[in-house]
Amino acid sequence: MKRLQSSLALSILASILAATATTARGEESFAQICDKVNPKLVKLFGAGGFRGLASYGSGAIVSPDGYILTVNSHILDTQDLRVHLSDGTPYHAKIVAIEPELDVALVKIGDNKNKVEDLPYFDVVEAAKRPPVEPGTGVLAFSNQFQIATRDEPMSIQRGVVASYSRLYGRIGIFEATYKGDVYVVDAITNNPGAGGGALTTRKGELLALIGKELRNELTNTWINYAIPISARITVSQADGNPATVSILDVLEKKEKYKPLTLPKKNEGPGVYTGIILVADPVERTPPFIEDVVPGSPADNAKLQADDLIVYVDGILVGDIHAYNDVLSRYHPNQTVKLEIQRDRKLQTISLKLDKPKTKKTPDKK
Amino acid sequence: MRRSTGWHWSIGLLALLVSLGSDRFVALSVARAEDLDELQEKTIKTAVRKIAPCVVQIETQGGTELVATGPSRPGAPPGIRLGTGPTTGLIVHADGYVISSAYNFANKPQAIHVRVPGHKEAYVAEIVANDQTRMLTLLKLVGVTGKLPVPLTVAKSEMLIGQTSLAVGRTLIGQVDQMPSVSVGIVSALHRIWGKAIQTDAKISPTNYGGPLVDLNGRVQGVLVPASPRTEGETAGFEWYDSGIGFAIPLEDVNRVLPRMLKGTAKEVVTLKRGLLGITMPQQQGQDEHAAPTKIASLAPGSAAEKSGLKVGDVIKEIDGKPIDNQAQLKQLMGPKYDSDAVVLKVQRDKDELKFELKLEGVVASYPQPFLGILPLRDDPEAGVEVRFVYPGSPADKGGVKAGDRLTKIGRAMPPAPVRMTPIANRDQLMDMLETTMPGLELSFEVKRAGGKKTETLKIKLGEMPDTVPTKTELPEKSSAKKALTKPKGIGPKPPEPPKKDDKKEPKKEEKKAELGFLKRTTAAADHSYWIYVPENYDPNVAHAVLVWLHPPGKNKEKDIEKFCESWQLRYTCEDYHLILVCPKAESDLGGWTRSESEFVQEAVKAVTDTYTVDRRRIIAHGMDQGGEMAFSLGFRSRGLFRGVATTGAALSGNVRDKTTGQPLSFFLIVGDKDPLLDAVKESNGKLKERKYPVIYREIKDMGRQYIDSRIGIDTLEEVARWIDSLDRM
Repeated sequence: MKRLQSSLALSILASILAATATTARGEESFAQICDKVNPKLVKLFGAGGFRGLASYGSGAIVSPDGYILTVNSHILDTQDLRVHLSDGTPYHAKIVAIEPELDVALVKIGDNKNKVEDLPYFDVVEAAKRPPVEPGTGVLAFSNQFQIATRDEPMSIQRGVVASYSRLYGRIGIFEATYKGDVYVVDAITNNPGAGGGALTTRKGELLALIGKELRNELTNTWINYAIPISARITVSQADGNPATVSILDVLEKKEKYKPLTLPKKNEGPGVYTGIILVADPVERTPPFIEDVVPGSPADNAKLQADDLIVYVDGILVGDIHAYNDVLSRYHPNQTVKLEIQRDRKLQTISLKLDKPKTKKTPDKK
Repeated sequence: MRRSTGWHWSIGLLALLVSLGSDRFVALSVARAEDLDELQEKTIKTAVRKIAPCVVQIETQGGTELVATGPSRPGAPPGIRLGTGPTTGLIVHADGYVISSAYNFANKPQAIHVRVPGHKEAYVAEIVANDQTRMLTLLKLVGVTGKLPVPLTVAKSEMLIGQTSLAVGRTLIGQVDQMPSVSVGIVSALHRIWGKAIQTDAKISPTNYGGPLVDLNGRVQGVLVPASPRTEGETAGFEWYDSGIGFAIPLEDVNRVLPRMLKGTAKEVVTLKRGLLGITMPQQQGQDEHAAPTKIASLAPGSAAEKSGLKVGDVIKEIDGKPIDNQAQLKQLMGPKYDSDAVVLKVQRDKDELKFELKLEGVVASYPQPFLGILPLRDDPEAGVEVRFVYPGSPADKGGVKAGDRLTKIGRAMPPAPVRMTPIANRDQLMDMLETTMPGLELSFEVKRAGGKKTETLKIKLGEMPDTVPTKTELPEKSSAKKALTKPKGIGPKPPEPPKKDDKKEPKKEEKKAELGFLKRTTAAADHSYWIYVPENYDPNVAHAVLVWLHPPGKNKEKDIEKFCESWQLRYTCEDYHLILVCPKAESDLGGWTRSESEFVQEAVKAVTDTYTVDRRRIIAHGMDQGGEMAFSLGFRSRGLFRGVATTGAALSGNVRDKTTGQPLSFFLIVGDKDPLLDAVKESNGKLKERKYPVIYREIKDMGRQYIDSRIGIDTLEEVARWIDSLDRM
């Protein structure tokens, strides 16, 4: 009996020991990951310090000879860009390439005289190949937000999960953010002054994305915490109308030889004619209700009628007349669009073949 | 401390392992820690996938640009802009019913469409019910019957603080068939927001308002909403988005009232309201509600409390068997109640403990303010009230009262007893007496006619307070007997408190000559500043009205305040109407007023009333933009101080508060017809009138978002001055 008791006590003790050890070792492995990631990150110093703009930022080393990936921000707008390595070593840096469509920049420390070698770095080729992770995946964010870390101090680390992998609808004040590809949105408050260019990694410290800037999300009108995936690759329409692909990997491969594309200022199509006359637009958010259709026009042929409400154009919600006109301006004559309209409390799908604009461009407004 | 213990154990373990001669165990435990993370991640994703089919995406068209918010938010005026993206909803009934946050519809969209996972086409949706207590909206998907999946509910009794909770939303994700967005947190607290909400530290924001808060089994704990314990309305609590302070309404509570909400249709929308007792309790300035006694001060006529037989003076001791001893506890227990809920109260009446069963009501009937139809002559030490002006067509006019008459006695028929006449002491006493009556009541007045010694008795049936301001020609210039510092001769029947004019007779006012003109002041603690303008013709024997200016956001510089005061100088308005301007300065240069600044505003007003002769019946809060919202808030919350609220280009945020007997409040709303807030201000006018507040509404032609100046609306400004001059109408 006595023996049973003592062996029970022993086994409880053993299990307590095991549990405590697990936590201790688990934290240790986390610490190891941080030790592994931190040397691959740098602190950047450049323009700013006025109008609430920070003069510091973060960056990720992407090669052993000193190429650093960061976000394209105001701090690069200087002749005197400086970098502090994780051990505190200061360097002057020069800008190698900027890709505005992806909102990233490549900078370099060291030159022929003052060679930089054997730096710890993120394997970006591998990172670019990694498939996007799902919402709910645990992530770590490393950055020098608020410039809390100085010189050789390690970056501030935050833990969270990926909230979504989805398109960025960002705004800086009234301007749309240039990058419009997919981003990771995280549920930690990562996007603070100086955080841009920091690293978003998996729980194991593998690079996923570059922490973005401070932007408001147009969808919600709230601040958004997002990171640009290393695998970012978007297709844009060039000035000559031909599509072209830009990717972070391309920037990293071409380095000094990288040339950003020349893109048309605004994507102005030739305009289209539908024969739809919308209601007057006295307030900012008037829904696109049809007031009338021109007899014999494409709208008339498609049997659109007065009081129909246009809800979706090829699946895109047109919340108001402004959005409707904006969406339609991207089409060319002879294209067919799928309109979903609300009539008698039901949604109906209607195909509308677009026509050339009449000699005088007829706006879809009365 | 914990770390050192950890080390201690680790060392102990290390010793143990060394003695066992193996380090395989260490490797194993590291692997285990990672497994644990991986396992949690897997569980989270499984839970999200489980709930995903019940989480819908809501898209809207049209609606207003801006949604008015309260002054609690030191942000951009004059309201918030909702995002352009889709929002989230949760299926609660297979027949196509979706619950969501009222925030998502705060801009009153003209069309609503819902995308359901697994369904190719979107559905037209209509609002069929609103829950005003928990700020939820129920949608019906037109034409959908019996085919939608309904989530499992976590019972409230099962929920514990510290449990994992996942906030799920559909705003960020473009396609409804994809996995929704997720934020991971824990249950931080239960019974929050006066017993109505679960608190979580997951990131709650417009990306998931209306979506579910789910546990690790994919069962729903609650519906995510913005919420605040201090303010009401669709957007209250929005300022806490993504802060780690988020709220969800327990789905169990939603399910409980769902049968009522399902009865709604687009044409007859069901509105669930807060269950009201219909009582007021003494609210003293600055008193902590955790210390305030639960003694009934007044009962609204026809309310649940009055019908049940409760009486003024009863002290509530228990609600539904739960003992209470302060107003905060009462609020906590009454907070979750709906109209038509039953409640059992135990009250102390003298030495008895009595039990009452009540069926709560959603609205307390509002009665218009009673109106005799006169303006009194102020600062008059003689007994009774001299009539300064008789409103044409008013009950007093019809009853034969003339300007210059002195009302000396008042009587009320109490059948079968005959009319008993009691002497009228002064203006304040007569106002107090009339305020506790109702329109339609017949009163007798003994009137001493002007000039002669002739005394008559007139019968007057009280009417309703009109929404008119005497015109410039109507209003007699002589408003005061100019004897404010003379000891009053009139003695009331049984004066419950010394006449309020006593306050003004502190000797220091006479001894020290008061400073006049535009002056800068700081508070006693020197943490806030304000400006005052005292008219050059200031006379301590005339009680002055006080206009408290709550500037629009950013207009807190001295030059801005000077400009405001100049508007009031243009026609010597302050001089002619004996008006003191008090202009507190909001601390934020960009944002506007914060709720915490209301105490400083009151302190500034008190400093002025202590220094100058002030008519406490005519202190008004005046504001523009978000300052106007602050004026509404001050008016509703500090009834003991403010008798009027005048706003320019500001709409009410949140619900209108009920009238309080004995503390009348009047409104003057000004808006330019070019102001984007025009419709919202019109709506505010309607809401206030619905609650039977006296409201003057003025729309100024060709005016946008600006303050009245020499070029525009100056006549309205003078009308505001006349309105203030006539605020002691009765």
